[in-house]
Amino acid sequence: MVRYVRLLWIFLRTEMQYELEYRTNLALDIMQSLVIMGTSVGAVFVLFSYTTVLNGWDLEGMLVLLGCFYLVQGFSEFVLAPSFEKFMEHVRLGTLDFALLKPASAQFLVTLRQFRVTELTQFVLGALIVVVALSRMSVVSVYQGVGFVAALLCGFALVYALLLALSTFAFWFVRVDNLMAIYWSFLDAGRFPVDIYPGWLRLTLSTAVPIGIAVTVPAQAISGKLEPLGLGLLIVGTVTAFALSAWFWRLGLRSYTGASA
Amino acid sequence: MIRTYRALFVAQIQAAAQYRVQSILWMLFSVMRPVIFLAAWVAVANAQGGQIGAYDTRDFAGYYVALALVTNLVFSWNAYDFEFEIRMGRLSPKLLRPLHPIHYAVVENLVWKMTTMIPLLLILGVVIVTFDARFRTTPMHLLLFVPSVLLAAALSFLGGWFLATTAFWTTRVHAVSTLWDRAVFIFAGQIAPLALLPGILKTISLALPFGYMLGVPTEILRGGVDVPTALALIGGQAFWVVVFYIAFVRLWRVGVRQYSAVGA
Amino acid sequence: MMHSRAPDNAVIMPGMTDAVVDVRELRKTFSVTEREEGLAATLRSFVKRHRKDVNAVAGITFRIEPGEVVGFLGPNGAGKTTTLKMLSGLLHPSAGEASVLGYVPWRRENAYLGRMTLLMGNRTQLVWDIPAADSFRVLQEIYRIPEGQFRSTVNELTELLELQELVHKPVRNLSLGERMKVEFAAGLIHSPSVAFLDEPTIGLDISMQVRIRRFVAEYNRRSGATILLTSHYMDDVVALCKRVIVIHRGTLLYDGPLADLAERMAPYKVITATLHDGAASSTDLDAYGTVVSREEGRVTLRVDRQLAPERTARLVNDLGSRLADISVEDPPIEEVIDRVFTSEQTTVSA
Repeated sequence: MVRYVRLLWIFLRTEMQYELEYRTNLALDIMQSLVIMGTSVGAVFVLFSYTTVLNGWDLEGMLVLLGCFYLVQGFSEFVLAPSFEKFMEHVRLGTLDFALLKPASAQFLVTLRQFRVTELTQFVLGALIVVVALSRMSVVSVYQGVGFVAALLCGFALVYALLLALSTFAFWFVRVDNLMAIYWSFLDAGRFPVDIYPGWLRLTLSTAVPIGIAVTVPAQAISGKLEPLGLGLLIVGTVTAFALSAWFWRLGLRSYTGASA
Repeated sequence: MIRTYRALFVAQIQAAAQYRVQSILWMLFSVMRPVIFLAAWVAVANAQGGQIGAYDTRDFAGYYVALALVTNLVFSWNAYDFEFEIRMGRLSPKLLRPLHPIHYAVVENLVWKMTTMIPLLLILGVVIVTFDARFRTTPMHLLLFVPSVLLAAALSFLGGWFLATTAFWTTRVHAVSTLWDRAVFIFAGQIAPLALLPGILKTISLALPFGYMLGVPTEILRGGVDVPTALALIGGQAFWVVVFYIAFVRLWRVGVRQYSAVGA
Repeated sequence: MMHSRAPDNAVIMPGMTDAVVDVRELRKTFSVTEREEGLAATLRSFVKRHRKDVNAVAGITFRIEPGEVVGFLGPNGAGKTTTLKMLSGLLHPSAGEASVLGYVPWRRENAYLGRMTLLMGNRTQLVWDIPAADSFRVLQEIYRIPEGQFRSTVNELTELLELQELVHKPVRNLSLGERMKVEFAAGLIHSPSVAFLDEPTIGLDISMQVRIRRFVAEYNRRSGATILLTSHYMDDVVALCKRVIVIHRGTLLYDGPLADLAERMAPYKVITATLHDGAASSTDLDAYGTVVSREEGRVTLRVDRQLAPERTARLVNDLGSRLADISVEDPPIEEVIDRVFTSEQTTVSA
């Protein structure tokens, strides 16, 4: 376990050394993130210029949700998406074999290998939005805080499980950019609470592509809207999803190496 | 010229057959955004008794369905492609042929739109039914829609190419194109119908070209503006098309000259 | 200094000897779908798929002792890369057994992976955008190499491969040959006891090929690591491998010393006689052997090995002063190999 933490650190450190060399690129990327997130916040304000409440969410609650969205998306863009993109490239070029022959878990080496440090901006700004919005709300209880952190971690794990499952298809189809396009489409829907969407979309966002859950539930937790039962269900669901996708990955790996089913 | 275009078309349709699935999935992505914001506005309207300004929930549905259709008809992605072509060294051979590179892009763009049209209409059909969309279109509106969407497509295309041309000087076009995309996001009618944008934003959206790219043809298609207003707005579109055409041609000439000077 | 690590906690296999690589009746069969071109065939294959079994490796057996450098020869599709993949652990066999360093390779146990390496020509494991030195550090962490050993191994590899100028440049800025050198260093940084090299010199220019060959030979000498090498370039095999294993259509055709291969598969000598004046075209030399070619003043003959000395003596005698030069050689190794592949023989080890 400690060893894997050390490996994560060296992966991150190597990437930081590389990205920090390109200061202009870094500055531009940060500026881009600021622009994108600023305009998204602006969109929320436009919506709330006509109402004080939207489906039970007030402005502060919506901003918290938006912040959670950028926390989840930021985490995904920071390490998960770059790693999975790299993985697909490896399958295509035949260089995946190198990862399989290293004395460390192949799943770890594939899914947490590549960092994109500039995306930390999204993560940090997302946290900032959450903090600012919270300061305008009433006092937050310990229970809400703990629930928030737990739900957020579950959100990260759910996104991880989803991307792991999607990428496993690369073992059979090699090019799965198309599946990633589906992922991006649904990810965008996470910026608003999952309950505003029509039935079929809400269902998809809560199960097959659990982005909606990953973002909405933490926001509910911190706003005091979450029942313990809801949180419990989320945790159970997350553990299940995680185990399922890890099993699927192992299946894909066995297929790739020609092990009999 | 016609024969050239026909040849380019045939070649591009064959190429596009390979990317069929990909094109459709990208289209899915571009439909999601309007649906997301539609759901948001419906929620807002419901919180306010079902009506915001001139829009009830069904009008919002009509607006966003029209927006999705217009976006697909107008959309172009040049800045990204062009920078890529320069970096890969694929531009030089094109410059050596007696055909302006922009024609390849036009054909590629049109073929993509053709490929994605039917699946798009099917999906929009589902949305129309789900949200019970209402359209206030009259035959006159449909008639005016044709020039409007053509101008909007030309405007979006030329604007994109104007930006893309900066790739002759810098490798960081993506920073500029992000600003452009976000401006489109705010001012072109994606986050809200133009009429509902708060005062200053609405002014900017009609003073700058962005509103004319998506919002205007959308409202015309939906029948959300009366005929005299529509005509005035089309005039505005034409104005901006001319502006960007001139700007693009000028900038391109300077760009190619300096590109060949440096060593294509 | 580089050293092969002694086996610890090795898995005991029945009948195991202290051979480093022990392969028995190893078999790999792939099932491929066949489809003709055209729209009609595509539609048909939607409904009914034609599957065909391809025996990539059809039951091979061999053993390799510690420290050997063995060459795998075979045309494309012979099964060499498939064999290498099974021995490195990337592929499960359809049948048969293999053990490397006492481990079953396809279990990919960490203890095994830490003591072997697979190098593939034309494919890089290095991170593209950062200097190789940074990639080395990542590998150090993955293989848990102690700092002292890491430094001395890196120094030694840098010296042997002349990497001083190269390790601090981003890998993408290196030429193909330079990249291959750094790739070698990366592959050997954990001092493996077994190295599988798959087409290591492919695409490199002649001088770089020579340098790589010298390095591999030196590395084997210094560390005693066992090396299995596949290559299309005969010069690689001739320079490095005393022993070759020839694989064709998944079966083992020959396993033994390279020198004996020629004797076995191509039991003839090539006599080249150079004649003064234009006599070459007119002189009838059929009596001495099979005439292979006639060029300006030069005739090349193929003569049975046993008969070669006697025929040579007769040629020199009979042609007398008309003979400008004469040479008696083994057939070029490519020709030997070619004969191995085109004949349907299935001879086994020497």
